[in-house]
Amino acid sequence: MILQFNHLQRKSAAATSQDVIDALYGLLEEGHIEQAQFARLRIHLDWIQYKQNFREPVTIMRAVTEAGDDPSLMDVHVDMRQISPGVLRGTLLEAMRLADSDAPREEDRVVFEDFASFRSSIAWKFNGLYWHHLTDWEKATGRSYEQALPGGKSDANHEGAVADSVADFWTLLKDLESHHQLPAEVFVLEIGVGMGTRSGLWLDCFRALDEQRGTQYYPRLKFLLADYSPATLERSKPAVQRHMDLCSFLVLDALNPIQTLAFLRHKILHIHMTNVYDNLPDEELARCDGRLYLVQVRAYLRMAEASRIAQAFGLEVGGVSRMVRRLLDVGPDYFQERSQGVAFWQDVWKCLRLEERLVPLDELPQDTLPTGLDARQLAEVLRTAPSDLRFHLSSGALESFRNTVPLLHPRGYLQVQDIFISNLNECRLGFQGPGKLDGSIVNWVNGVLLREVAERAGYDVHFAPFHYRKGSRTSILYTTQRE
Amino acid sequence: MSLPILPTTVVGSYSMPGWLERLKTEYFARRISRVDLDEIHDTAVKAAIKDQEVAGLDVITDGELRRDNLIDYFVERMPGVQIDRGSKKFYYDFYNSVVERKLPHAPLGLTEDFRFLAANTNQETKFCITGPHSLSKRIRNNFYPSEEAFATDIASVLNLELKELVKAGARHIQIDEPYLSGFPDDLVWAVNALNTLVEGVQTKIGVHICYGNRYGKPSWEGSYRYLLPKIFEVKVQQLTLEFARRGDEDLELLRELVPHFEVGVGVIDVKTQAVETADVVAERVRKSLKFAPAERLFVLPDCGCFHLPRQVAFAKLCAMVEGTRLVRKELGK
Repeated sequence: MILQFNHLQRKSAAATSQDVIDALYGLLEEGHIEQAQFARLRIHLDWIQYKQNFREPVTIMRAVTEAGDDPSLMDVHVDMRQISPGVLRGTLLEAMRLADSDAPREEDRVVFEDFASFRSSIAWKFNGLYWHHLTDWEKATGRSYEQALPGGKSDANHEGAVADSVADFWTLLKDLESHHQLPAEVFVLEIGVGMGTRSGLWLDCFRALDEQRGTQYYPRLKFLLADYSPATLERSKPAVQRHMDLCSFLVLDALNPIQTLAFLRHKILHIHMTNVYDNLPDEELARCDGRLYLVQVRAYLRMAEASRIAQAFGLEVGGVSRMVRRLLDVGPDYFQERSQGVAFWQDVWKCLRLEERLVPLDELPQDTLPTGLDARQLAEVLRTAPSDLRFHLSSGALESFRNTVPLLHPRGYLQVQDIFISNLNECRLGFQGPGKLDGSIVNWVNGVLLREVAERAGYDVHFAPFHYRKGSRTSILYTTQRE
Repeated sequence: MSLPILPTTVVGSYSMPGWLERLKTEYFARRISRVDLDEIHDTAVKAAIKDQEVAGLDVITDGELRRDNLIDYFVERMPGVQIDRGSKKFYYDFYNSVVERKLPHAPLGLTEDFRFLAANTNQETKFCITGPHSLSKRIRNNFYPSEEAFATDIASVLNLELKELVKAGARHIQIDEPYLSGFPDDLVWAVNALNTLVEGVQTKIGVHICYGNRYGKPSWEGSYRYLLPKIFEVKVQQLTLEFARRGDEDLELLRELVPHFEVGVGVIDVKTQAVETADVVAERVRKSLKFAPAERLFVLPDCGCFHLPRQVAFAKLCAMVEGTRLVRKELGK
């Protein structure tokens, strides 16, 4: 048995590792766990920092291979923040019972989907619903989504960070001008505009610096504000009102910016994104005993919660699943009263959980890995990583990156403020998601894979800590074309 | 061997197959031998030659498939250049290299690669080398008093090699200077270095100047206007430039260039996998003809096809050949 501590929060854990070991030996002695199984058990002691997440206090993953279930491989994840010693044995036993069969049990859960990669999960439809109906959500909660962020506001809008970003950009333009290479039109792109606050600040700051230095760069600017949600774009307009003449607003899928902006290929000098990658579809891989597995999930509600929700909204339990589908297709307006639709949405979202299982990667189609990352590269990256490891593939972030960098001018750069891991050891030191942040999903971004894909495509990627706010977990990814 | 009007050719490189990339990387990881890699290269070059012939090109190259990139192929062969062999993770990356003393003048052994090309095609051939300006930008100079002095000495070394190539039968040599557009202020000394390079070399010589193609992306932007009038002093017969990706803005410069050089016009954008149609190519050639007579033009892609998948590169070359044929027909040639 391998006992793996995946966190550094010893003092705030509700249960101790000794409690977990005692419970497992108890189950072994009582015959609930076979000796062969015990030998290959992996016990992950996690500490999930997101108060809202998709995990039960104890989750058990089994491997499903072409040959059928592999009962000897069992990954047990215990959330040391949630679990208390008194219920540990019973919870472990219940988790083992639930993991025993991959067929949904009507008496236990309302299951919304078949097992698949996380990026295909219904959870992402909830995420999309949140961004498209953000105003409704905020009205119901009485706070803006920025207030839900750790620290209560977005690092994107930090005045010091914005001023430095402007100064860097001005320096680039000056250098281009000195080499007679300053384009007549200087394109800047912000993907994921939020309330437009950063864009407004950036433009104010840039205009002031330009005037101060007398360089006349400001009139050349073409500032593009791009977002997935038309409603968000609309909300950003007041913040850039002072610069409206040089702003354009574009509905754009962050997964594929080049599709919308193909006419600007190799023309954009500065692209900036904040907290976009952590909210793009993602999936996880796990390496156990040297073999790579895809973590497949399926979303469900516990039966008790499904019953409560059904009763609260005048539904049969069997109708909850149908109502969720309608909500995701139509939005909260599907309900007679929109406020009731939002309340149903928020209740289901809060209770939504993900069941997990492992499927060997080598038994899946080759295109399971995102474009730009092949199995050989992955093996190379993992060569020096811890042997047993669970990590995010960050496929949405990789896809977005690959479809963004072709927009860059040869001297242009991409800056991404987000939560990155830049070393695979970090996967064993904390939980990297998925978590729930208000109505959206949050995942840490695998900067190691991002760097690998970037290098092969001819880009240099650097990570710098966001030093402007003490305690910030944000890093800044800085990408330039390799010479 | 006579060429038709508007001869077609590649700039130099052909598509690098994914399997060859992997095998080159295997070699760097010491999992296959040099002997095996040489044999693999021979096979890949033969295939590249065949593809160019089937596509219908008039002038054939070896596809430069033996080369890791435009720099290291030369750096590895130049005595006196010290290489940090651990500095490269992927075969296409550049080595860190440095010159600490005067470069010895010695042959680089490029003629073997030319002979292999000539032995495997009956068509006109072209052999390409990287120019002294670009090489001087990638090799760290810890000896020479200036970039110009360094580039000029590189040119002297390469000059011997060009003469060897001519002796071996090379009738068309192209010098690639992809870094020049990034450093337009270097033009004066770069032209002097080019003239040192071609001094006494009795064959047709061209210079290719583009805006970079590193990892299939441009490295610079701007206008070819910076080349004039200094470029007229280069003692070569041909200049090849990129126009397909960059648009027509600089096409009118052809008027000023053709009295001095044949011009190879780039009509295929090698930085996108979208395959041009023959009609698009024909239209690009026709636009060039507004500024230059057909007798002074060659038709090429913008730059090397190195980063394009093989089927895309092949389809683009076929479109280029077909589009050129359409124009030849209109000209009655």
